[in-house]
Amino acid sequence: MCLGIPAKVVQIDKPNLGKVDYLGTRVKTNFELLDNLKVGDWVIVHAGFAISKLDEEEARETFSILREMAEKEALANKNKEREKQSNKQKG
Amino acid sequence: MKELRDKRVIRGLLSEIEKRTRELPSSSRIMEVCGTHTMTVHRYGLKNMLEKVGVEMVSGPGCPVCITPNEIHEAAIELVTENENFILTTFGDMTRVPTRKSSLQKAVPAAGSMVKIVYSPRESLEIAGSSPEKQVVFFGVGFETTIPAIALILREAVEKKLANFSILSALWIIPPPLKAIVKAKEIALDGFLYPGHVSAIIGEKPYQFIAKEYGIPGAITGFEPSDILLGIFSILNQIRDGNPTVSNEYSRVVRASGNPKALAVMEEMLETKDSYWRGLGLIPQSGLKIKKEYSAYDAEIKFNLRIKGGSGDLPGCRCGEVLQGLISPPQCPLFVEKCNPDSPYGPCMVSFEGACFVYYKYNPTIKNEL
Repeated sequence: MCLGIPAKVVQIDKPNLGKVDYLGTRVKTNFELLDNLKVGDWVIVHAGFAISKLDEEEARETFSILREMAEKEALANKNKEREKQSNKQKG
Repeated sequence: MKELRDKRVIRGLLSEIEKRTRELPSSSRIMEVCGTHTMTVHRYGLKNMLEKVGVEMVSGPGCPVCITPNEIHEAAIELVTENENFILTTFGDMTRVPTRKSSLQKAVPAAGSMVKIVYSPRESLEIAGSSPEKQVVFFGVGFETTIPAIALILREAVEKKLANFSILSALWIIPPPLKAIVKAKEIALDGFLYPGHVSAIIGEKPYQFIAKEYGIPGAITGFEPSDILLGIFSILNQIRDGNPTVSNEYSRVVRASGNPKALAVMEEMLETKDSYWRGLGLIPQSGLKIKKEYSAYDAEIKFNLRIKGGSGDLPGCRCGEVLQGLISPPQCPLFVEKCNPDSPYGPCMVSFEGACFVYYKYNPTIKNEL
């Protein structure tokens, strides 16, 4: 029920109505709950209403934390691998 | 956005989570409040992965279709079976909820009446506009995510003086049941994953009492697997540091103060009331109703429906306990054999975000048994 879909604003007709693009499909959407929306913005759409505008800077920050997590893990794995290798050589 | 489902990211987060749980004296139990979170937790196999690293996930009350007591579902069924020329519009899940009076899908409407499934509440207004000879009732159910949309169409109906339109409301606010669950102390919880899209509307503040008064950590979380793990990681950090708070791990969508326009239209059209929740019983100030000045659009008043209490559960259905995290769906004796998505006995098996449905759909061992 609280499913919200990230979609891109592609058309603003009247002040509060327009269309978003969701995976290639253009969907009629009501923009009344958001201010200062423009074509190209990303929004979360729920039951035909855009309920929040995506903050790109915040998104970038979260994604960089996530990438860091992946890199940490990759590095830890590499170190484990190296340890194994050197243990083998010792053995 | 690919990071959100990237296997390397997920592995990285899980290993960081494991490091944290090793620092803690015991395993942690975290409630995912929202049914859409329950879906992510199970769909991507996070439930089992997390259990292996010392985090137990339990489902909460975040399924509006499920927590709506049978009495309200039955009132909707009666409206359309006992009145001619009625159109009842609602979301798809709502039509399949079984009650003592059948379901909206199976009940036979009176002459000229029908049930219509809508994707957006707005469609109901369009139907009312194009069918002036019929009474159109929108059976509107939802949490704060959906309520602003319902408040907006109510305002539009009032402005257009749509005399054949009204709303049968089943509108629920998320923080009060969390307080009820914490206060009841029937389940010990170490943290809450707060629902991302409810929070997009209400912001961070309404949860703060849980950290401040009850000392329970929490994180507002998005709906991708990495979002969920990031939320859990934050909760574990709060536990370790002895610093319970409401952290916002979904800051790309959720602002600290929520969505002011949405809150304003809710405030303008609706007011709080004490409400019955399935399983949880009567919770003070946990529901919203249409304000008195707009009562011409309140189906409960317009059609003199006397909806009482919340005791109409079908015998044997344990959905109410599932909604409080007291039992997990497989612990219900009806699960799988007597209650499954093809033939649901209770609402938790009907809704796509009902815990019973999700456990059924994403548990491979259940499918092997069939």
